[in-house]
Amino acid sequence: MPLVRIPTPLRPQAGGLDKIEAAGSTVREVLADLGCQHPAIQERLFDGGEIRRFVNVYVNNEDVRYLDDLDTPVGAKDEVSIIPAVAGG
Amino acid sequence: MAAPASTTAPDPLDRYSRQVRFPALGEDGQRALMNSRVTLCGCGALGTVLANHLARAGVGHLRIIDRDFIETHNLQRQILFDERDVADNLPKAEAAARKLRLINSTIEVEPVVTDLDHTNALDLMGDADLILDGTDNFETRYLINDAAVKLNKPWIFGGVIGSEGQTMTILPGETPCLRCVIETAPPPGMTPTCETAGVLGPAVAVIASFEAVEAIKLLAGKKEALNRDLIMVDLWDWTFRQLKVSGLFGRVDCPCCKHRKFDWLEGEAGSHTTALCGRNAVQVASRRPEPLKFPEMADRLKALGDVRHNAFMLRFATEGYEFTVFPDGRAIIKGTNDIAKAKTLYAQFVGA
Repeated sequence: MPLVRIPTPLRPQAGGLDKIEAAGSTVREVLADLGCQHPAIQERLFDGGEIRRFVNVYVNNEDVRYLDDLDTPVGAKDEVSIIPAVAGG
Repeated sequence: MAAPASTTAPDPLDRYSRQVRFPALGEDGQRALMNSRVTLCGCGALGTVLANHLARAGVGHLRIIDRDFIETHNLQRQILFDERDVADNLPKAEAAARKLRLINSTIEVEPVVTDLDHTNALDLMGDADLILDGTDNFETRYLINDAAVKLNKPWIFGGVIGSEGQTMTILPGETPCLRCVIETAPPPGMTPTCETAGVLGPAVAVIASFEAVEAIKLLAGKKEALNRDLIMVDLWDWTFRQLKVSGLFGRVDCPCCKHRKFDWLEGEAGSHTTALCGRNAVQVASRRPEPLKFPEMADRLKALGDVRHNAFMLRFATEGYEFTVFPDGRAIIKGTNDIAKAKTLYAQFVGA
């Protein structure tokens, strides 16, 4: 099953986990399954059916916006990463 | 016959001999560094490490912009400052310049104590070969991005929180800009800041060191060695990632680098801040695309003390200041008349 990497600021909404297995064959399906497992994360990631503009998603280190966005295919051994912008400094 | 040593002027390259011997830099690279000009935006945690590296490496002219004063809790990670600077109430840019001149008297250091905004950004960056991000908020980073793209100058983004950080080198016209990669900053309820989530000095030093090496490559004319990815490091989890973002260049409909719409530079985005006369308070107005989520903000801020909120406002007090925040992002900060201080407090406790 694909693995989703959870960034530090979202871990409180994901039971404290940093990696979660989620079912699906596209980014949309994988993140939807993640939302079912951890409903608190759903609202943080999605605004209606679309992903929030400040959330970037990568499949194996590739930004999905130059692949097929939420329809980017995800294989069983792929890793999906949710990457928020880091503000401090 | 060789000239007597006493009449030979010291070779200005001598003090840099250990990095000149590094073959990828070499003497030509060092000479280019010594003839280069850098504008450093922000002289806090990232900025002090950046300034330290670049002054020691021999960057010829270093302009350091910062709006803030030094406080004791800065000393944990802001490596150019000490307790005497705190006691002397020195601005960060000035204290940094004094220290850097002791480190390297052969370079020019120009401290600028000001709030970098759309009125002065182009002037402060126009003569630079490179712009560096030592800021702690996205409002200023989008302003830097606008100015760098408009001026067609390279800049290097860096951000740190907790034990993790990100950095990316931006070459306008060649690589995606900040708005291509990070389309919009997270709204305050969803973004931790160093004040709410903490930050480790070594994490800042790692990200600033990545930025500094990129700066050295760029100024020395070694462009082929530059990083083209979004780098992410977490020192606590011991992870290092290179996220591929170069494919975004030209593919995303970027308002900044594709349509040349400079929202921050034109003052259409970002904060509009005014002192509230006679009230010892400043209003910070930061336009938000969506209303703030007070329950999440309250949860994030509760470690600081009592946080109260209803549908119309959220109120909390910390460090002797009282914050009243409204859903549209506007905030009134009581306890100061200083606009720069209020903007700093806003970035620290409400968010970028």
